[in-house]
Amino acid sequence: MTPLPGGRPPIVISGVGVITALGDDLDALREALCSGRRAVVASADGAGEARIPDFDSARYATIRGMRMYNRTTRLGICATKLALVDAAMEADSCPSEELGVVTASTSGHLGTLIEYDRSLVAVGLQRTNPAWMPLAIPSAPGAMIALSFGAKAFSMTLSQGAASSLDALGLGMRLIESRRARACVVVGAFSPCPELSLAASRAGMFAPAGEFRVFDRRSRGTAFGEAAAAVVLERLDDCQHRGKTPMAVLRGYGSAFATRPSELSAALARAGRAALRMATLGSADIRLVSSGANGLPERDRSEARALVALLGDAAAQPPVVAAKASLGECVDASGLLQMLVALFALRSGAVPPIPALDEPDVPGLRYARPHMTVDDGHALATATSSTGACSALVLSARHAA
Amino acid sequence: MITGCGVVTAAGNDLSSFWGALLSGTCFIGPLKHFSAPGIEPILGAEVELDARDGLPAEVDTDARRSRAGQLALAASRRALSDAALRHSAEELERTGLALGTTLGEERQVGDLSERWAGSGPSSVDPGFYLRSDNHHLASLVAAQCGLGGSVQLCAAACSSGNASMASAYDLISSGAADTMIAGGVDTLTRSIYCGFQRMGALSKGICRPFDRRRDGVSFGEGAGMVVLEELEQATRRGARIYAEVAGYGMSNDAHHVTAPDPSGDGFARAMTQALSSTGLSPASIDYVSAHGTGTQYNDAAEIRAMKTVFGECAKQVPMSSIKSMIGHTNGAASAIEAVACALALTRQAVPPTANLTEPDPDCDWDCVPGKGREARVERCLNLAAGFGGFNVCVVLTRFA
Repeated sequence: MTPLPGGRPPIVISGVGVITALGDDLDALREALCSGRRAVVASADGAGEARIPDFDSARYATIRGMRMYNRTTRLGICATKLALVDAAMEADSCPSEELGVVTASTSGHLGTLIEYDRSLVAVGLQRTNPAWMPLAIPSAPGAMIALSFGAKAFSMTLSQGAASSLDALGLGMRLIESRRARACVVVGAFSPCPELSLAASRAGMFAPAGEFRVFDRRSRGTAFGEAAAAVVLERLDDCQHRGKTPMAVLRGYGSAFATRPSELSAALARAGRAALRMATLGSADIRLVSSGANGLPERDRSEARALVALLGDAAAQPPVVAAKASLGECVDASGLLQMLVALFALRSGAVPPIPALDEPDVPGLRYARPHMTVDDGHALATATSSTGACSALVLSARHAA
Repeated sequence: MITGCGVVTAAGNDLSSFWGALLSGTCFIGPLKHFSAPGIEPILGAEVELDARDGLPAEVDTDARRSRAGQLALAASRRALSDAALRHSAEELERTGLALGTTLGEERQVGDLSERWAGSGPSSVDPGFYLRSDNHHLASLVAAQCGLGGSVQLCAAACSSGNASMASAYDLISSGAADTMIAGGVDTLTRSIYCGFQRMGALSKGICRPFDRRRDGVSFGEGAGMVVLEELEQATRRGARIYAEVAGYGMSNDAHHVTAPDPSGDGFARAMTQALSSTGLSPASIDYVSAHGTGTQYNDAAEIRAMKTVFGECAKQVPMSSIKSMIGHTNGAASAIEAVACALALTRQAVPPTANLTEPDPDCDWDCVPGKGREARVERCLNLAAGFGGFNVCVVLTRFA
């Protein structure tokens, strides 16, 4: 095994699982995104949203008690199952005491909490279902995922909105690097409960149906997207030792906080520089950027300005992709999905275009257009949350094989 | 190194009164003035009284003002920063982050929604609910008020959240990703958890009695505990007072049951063993154990078994106590407040007691420091935490010579 610069052991992705409105395997997702398909359609109230059609958890996993869990938790469990199978992670290749779970979940518990609390008001304490309360706390989705797969090393949950799953990847990297576990599933799932969608709609966050655009001068808001994604992380030598070919290497991670909205751009640039520093790479080494832009004009502008600051000269710039333009804002799953989009682009050379981007709001970036290609190398994924969290991750496919 | 401590608890909001109250064995669990839960009488617990200096600044918006959890977290953080006498420059603040843990976060917005929903249905959902329901807004409030530009995380690990945040902050500093971290936890009294415990038969009918033969469940409290962590070199350079060194940590997951701990105590024992081995310390070298000690039959029994597994015969020589007997179980804040108690034990050479312990459980035949605290030689502490879902985190704190 060749250590990364700085003596760090390479942490690799050995399995992936995705469930999105555009498919439930990486090849299907790649084909859909590269052909410019969009999952966001008009919802009942006229705004756009992307829902997974006909999701049936029994198709993916048979877990005792799963029908008690809410849709977000079931999505997370199913994506985890897909990732473990993809990684060929059987019990004899990783004892349960050596398997950990890091979950990105900000609102995964919320629907259950609301339902439980409402039942306290509506039917009274003695008629509530006591089994709901432990499922109504923020760590519940992650705890149920760990319980479902007997993960006994750890079960950590991070709640940083749309930055959660890049942060979860960063935490997973650290925990594997420091040998807290041999393998770690990093998982994020998002399925908004009606109250969350209603509040977001009333806050004016959603673009009117048919007008959902990302990075565009005419962007008028975002659209929620339902999705789950999971990856299995392990050390390169552990992965190779069990005869598995790694899919990608996670090389660097950084995070920062914007104390006010006007600082979002500077904070994201700081997170990006920290990730590049950890990866011992410069911005010129980046071949692709998988951005977290979601159609909210101020957020998109901040992200674009941060990327301009990070990447510099337009002529040498890598393509910037925006998976949310197709999948919608998948909040807790979004960073993982962005990372997976970068992974398949680096591996296949095909860059998914940003649909409906006609007039870029911020010039100076090489926004992904149809038929663009990318050389194998390093990619940068970036994310911001509505509460000021900013994260960046550098991955590489070149050193994985 | 821990260079600053801040608490807001029923036992006091400054370190001297907090420590004095703990050592005297005063129980602050009593009838609650500001909290109610439908169908439960009498309603007992331990409430925090904030004083004028803990008020929110005028620029904080109305939604944040309504957040009790936000107020408690900010008050404890400010007290910790003030205690650490941190005078960071703007550049240094960009390398200063926050790891805040919580079991449920701010639940009252959900409670308010349930009340309104009963009369108004979906029209009761207001636009602000979108941000209020995002627990990262608690961390964001603290970080924005304190001007932090580093990594700002919200760790949801149920009742292990405080220790999980400490562990995460420790890793961020150790890995060079941050120079200074504020870490800890916060929780308020929440209707859903209070009622859920009542329905599960895990809420004490009176006051909690950890490790007592007659123990009948948890008494809840509210509060926050925060510490300032920084690397030795920086702490020494700026002449900071050092309370304790975070020497290492261990974590494990029971993966046994949604709410009940593994009765064998195996998972808890693994976390303790990992914490000790991460520091190279033997069980015999530990001078004080801050127990999770919730006062439920199941938790205390599992903890006793885990202690016997790890400490063997040494257990009888190691003082172990649960301050939850005085300030109640503060959920995600508990292990953070207990970490502050450990830091004070190390600096003031005394151990806090287990109050309300008059008839020790026959299985728990060691020194639980019943009644009142006492002077003791304390060089090394082990701080234990366990949470719903079975996630256990144990942190070793040592006296800095």
